[in-house]
Amino acid sequence: MTFKGLLSSVLIASSLMLAGGCTTTTVNEHRESDAVLSVGGSETFVLLGRRHAGHYEAEPEFIRCIGSKMGAGNKLKVLDEQEFIDGLYPWFEPRTAPLNLKRLSHMLHDPLVTSRMKALGVRYMIWVDGNTETTDKSGSVSCAIGPGGGGCFGFSTWDKESSYEAVIWDLKDFTDKGRVRVEAKGSSYMVAVGAPIPFIARVQGEACDGLGSQLREFFSAEG
Amino acid sequence: MKTKVVLLALIALLVGCATDVKVKGGVPAPLSEQLPFHVQLVLDDAFRSYQYIDDPERGKKVTFAVGEAQTDMFRVIAAGMFRQVTETAVQAPGVGDLILYPRVEEIQLATPFENKLKVFEVWIRYNLRVFDGSGAPLADWIMTSYGKTPTRFLSSDEDALNQAATVALRDAGARLTLELTRVPEIRQWLAENNR
Repeated sequence: MTFKGLLSSVLIASSLMLAGGCTTTTVNEHRESDAVLSVGGSETFVLLGRRHAGHYEAEPEFIRCIGSKMGAGNKLKVLDEQEFIDGLYPWFEPRTAPLNLKRLSHMLHDPLVTSRMKALGVRYMIWVDGNTETTDKSGSVSCAIGPGGGGCFGFSTWDKESSYEAVIWDLKDFTDKGRVRVEAKGSSYMVAVGAPIPFIARVQGEACDGLGSQLREFFSAEG
Repeated sequence: MKTKVVLLALIALLVGCATDVKVKGGVPAPLSEQLPFHVQLVLDDAFRSYQYIDDPERGKKVTFAVGEAQTDMFRVIAAGMFRQVTETAVQAPGVGDLILYPRVEEIQLATPFENKLKVFEVWIRYNLRVFDGSGAPLADWIMTSYGKTPTRFLSSDEDALNQAATVALRDAGARLTLELTRVPEIRQWLAENNR
């Protein structure tokens, strides 16, 4: 095969894979009512990841991503997850975090916890449960280096799935205000003919976009 | 030139064969009511300099020094839980109303090689021996804590192991803060000495 022929093959294969390396995202929402949740001037909300299960946990970078989406371009005040957890240590560690509103209500009987929550102005607590995982892998890429130069050759593909659910708790009346569920799937590819060329499907990124946008629609900042 | 290349390759190979970590990362001050007691916190040399070594037949050798980090954790938690804390390296009867003397019973590790994930898991089992002010034993509390690397996008095994160990120490601090006073013998002592 000539160099031009090889280059054409790579370009065609790359185009096909670029088209295939996409993500499909599904977002489902459940609201307790149609009313938008108002957030007062000094009120804040906090996004927290569920980490009590041993075999998976909501990734901190995903929580930060949603926080950025929700706080961008509006007056909604999103507390940093780690700062919140550190400020209320040890009440929101994986072992101790409340799994339901009843437990949270019980926790707030402690005057120190209540006082700290009031100081932070927390009105809404959004719990995000789920994770992103690699579900399938195949192929391989080998690289070698020698006196004349180096390079890689091969083809590999991997599939990722993201599945998350966000639950909104209102701390004023201890009620569940709604849920948003997002699922995203995508395939990524690595083509190597000389240099490795990756085509990465933004599975977790798409899930963050979907979940963050939908959660933002729940709230309206006042003042 | 060839010799230099071979040497560099050997060094790279050796460096990649082991994970060596000195755990860094503290725990925050606990949000809890301070008990009105003077506590002697005994942190002996073995505890302060504790180092865990895992050298399996298959997989990388892992060494992590957790002594300094766990010493800091016990200091922070004790200061948050009790009105007065005196730290000693050797148990001294007559100092304090209560004596807390922790010891590491066991550490277990699950490495990325074993669990096929990009995370480390750490279990630390402490034996917290509690004595009254005169040195009479009150309780032996076995407390296990767990930590897992929370993120998979880290640049090195050392960072991942450090994160897992830090999470385990936070878990230990949480159990100390919330469960120590529920140990039956300690609860009884607190009730009898309530101020």
